[in-house]
Amino acid sequence: MKNLNGGITMDKSKMTEMFFGPNHPGVPGNYGINYYYEGDTVVSAEPNAGHLHRGFEKLMEEREWIKNTALVCRICVMEPDINEMVYAMGYEAIGEIEVPKRAQYIRSIILEMARIQAHIFSIGGNCGAIGLYTAMHWGVLARDYILDLFEEITGGRVYHIYIRPGGVRHDIETSTFQKLLDLLDDLEKNRMPEFQKLIFENPTAQKRWKNTAVLNQDDALRLGVTGPALRATGLDHDVRRLMPYGAYDEVDFEIPTGEKADAWTRMKLKRDEIFQSIKIIRQLIRNIPDGPVSVNLGNALKYRIPEGEAYVKVESARGEYGYYMVSDGGLKPYRVHVRGTSTPLGLYGVEALLPGTRIEDVPVWAHSLGICPPEFDR
Amino acid sequence: MRSENELITLINDKLNPLEVNILREQNMSVKLKKDELVSGLNYLKARGYSHLATISCVDWIEENEFELVYHLFSYEDKINISVKTRIDRDKSKFVTIKNLWAVAQYYERDIHDFFGIEFEGNDDMEELILENWNDIPPMRKDFKTRDYVNEKFEWRDYDGQK
Amino acid sequence: MKEKYKSSKWQEVINWAQKRSLFMLHYCTGCGAIELPPTMTSRYDMSRFGIGPAATPRQADILLITGYLSTKTLKRVVYTYEQMQDPKFVMGFGSCTINGGMYWDSYNTIKQLDKYLPVDLYIAGCMPRPEAILEGFLDLKQKIEAGEAEGYKKYKEEYEYYKTNQEKVLGEVKRRQ
Repeated sequence: MKNLNGGITMDKSKMTEMFFGPNHPGVPGNYGINYYYEGDTVVSAEPNAGHLHRGFEKLMEEREWIKNTALVCRICVMEPDINEMVYAMGYEAIGEIEVPKRAQYIRSIILEMARIQAHIFSIGGNCGAIGLYTAMHWGVLARDYILDLFEEITGGRVYHIYIRPGGVRHDIETSTFQKLLDLLDDLEKNRMPEFQKLIFENPTAQKRWKNTAVLNQDDALRLGVTGPALRATGLDHDVRRLMPYGAYDEVDFEIPTGEKADAWTRMKLKRDEIFQSIKIIRQLIRNIPDGPVSVNLGNALKYRIPEGEAYVKVESARGEYGYYMVSDGGLKPYRVHVRGTSTPLGLYGVEALLPGTRIEDVPVWAHSLGICPPEFDR
Repeated sequence: MRSENELITLINDKLNPLEVNILREQNMSVKLKKDELVSGLNYLKARGYSHLATISCVDWIEENEFELVYHLFSYEDKINISVKTRIDRDKSKFVTIKNLWAVAQYYERDIHDFFGIEFEGNDDMEELILENWNDIPPMRKDFKTRDYVNEKFEWRDYDGQK
Repeated sequence: MKEKYKSSKWQEVINWAQKRSLFMLHYCTGCGAIELPPTMTSRYDMSRFGIGPAATPRQADILLITGYLSTKTLKRVVYTYEQMQDPKFVMGFGSCTINGGMYWDSYNTIKQLDKYLPVDLYIAGCMPRPEAILEGFLDLKQKIEAGEAEGYKKYKEEYEYYKTNQEKVLGEVKRRQ
């Protein structure tokens, strides 16, 4: 039998159209890719986005400033806390409000917990894409214990609505911090070694991930890609070091990088970042100061800030996540524009980078580069 | 690595800005005329500002203008620059920048979907996120979303009480 | 009701067997789908009740609409529902299927699922916990045993009503020949 992989003829009679569509267990969300393939290799592709569009930017212009904090966390479903943080940061930047120290420390602890659970879920999802379903079950279970702690602190498992302009909603007790430290010990000493043995020392998984979904440095910088996908090529750019926010300028942590940017390096980076986050949370809990946890901004239904604009960003588990906010001095925002992390890869990256991969590696490409559809559909 | 003030001197010398502002630490905004925007972006890109985060559009309906904002960032200087320009609201047309950054063709397609602005040089203007939309572009300020919803959908009737 | 659709004694045996083996279509349509992996995996295990995921609509019994539906997704969900084999059940998940929920004034989401597909059961919450989802499945099982979960028969009888509502929102929808 002739091997058709090397010999792509671009002959229309040999190409087949395939819908890696919205109704598929291998996509990371309600999103589709329509592509043509010939033999075993993808020849051309285009995205099929817009299934999750709710019109957030228009809805935010119709509600007062405080009511948007309940709406904004639903933009990114895997990691809702970053949305609340960026909205509060934008409001405080335009209004020139200073947040107390204890609130900044608590915000950073919540964001690091969200990063750990997003990375564990993503590692599990990556394993599900290649067929290692045991790791998917373990990943979802380890994440569930962190969601239990979120429920004890904020009242909800998935959507917290805890960070708001001026600080956080209420204080955390010392016994809860002790439970968090016990959970982190258990994660570091019992669960991560089991993941190491099952996933990272598994020869079949290594063979599937090495040299798949390669993204080199020129392509990444040209597209505007950030996060672990860019750090796997060798640069150590991280918003927590470039433009510090919260309490990150008072803790000590490393930024892991890789050399060869394939799916295997990105998996190792996610595991290393979990260990760094555990180290950050331990330092924050040890050094947290006393004091108030929010600033009194007056009647909540009459929040008002002067005219101005701001572009603020944070480092989510997948990269840079930014909001552009414009205020005209009124009771409602004038314009809020959301820049999701996976906008360049989910829309243009499919057209430019996907041709050339084998069709069984398309789910690995989508999961490992961190495409999260509700971010660019809004 | 340049500081904000050195950057202001550079911009005032070489480009022809209408307004340059330092908004806060590590954040600046530059306002240019619409014919000089592409050369301004080209100049900044050659000086290290090669990361295009996104392109936003704001609808100033009272002044009858659209404002396009390009957010650039440099990894060496660590400064965010928002480059702005204004175009007319009734005949809304602008030039594409997909020759500088190829990823901009999808940002411009998104703005065309929601605001109705045409970009010369970018032919791929199919609907990206909406489907079969037959009203005015929804993010404009004269599109009233609650009137549209009351007309197209019906509310549930809870035994006579609303 | 037409004569050939009336239940008989044999139908009770079928109902008893059917409620113990239900396949759920694995299609995550909205943001409520993030609470499905905890329900399917080992902590809140749902396979002890005989419920498991299925990949294609031809092999599924339950269509779970997890959350809001944009008009683009509604078209695909209607075609998916018509491809499933009888008997089939639809469950509305979350408060967005009941009256629009959080996005009540959005131009792109639908406000009542009842007008476009026949719904057998609603689960309230935003979003419902895994324990609430399991209780919803147990309620569905009781309804199947009692012979009350007959949404698929209602769709065939009131076909014109559903199709008119769908065409008002979507424009043009395929009809049966």
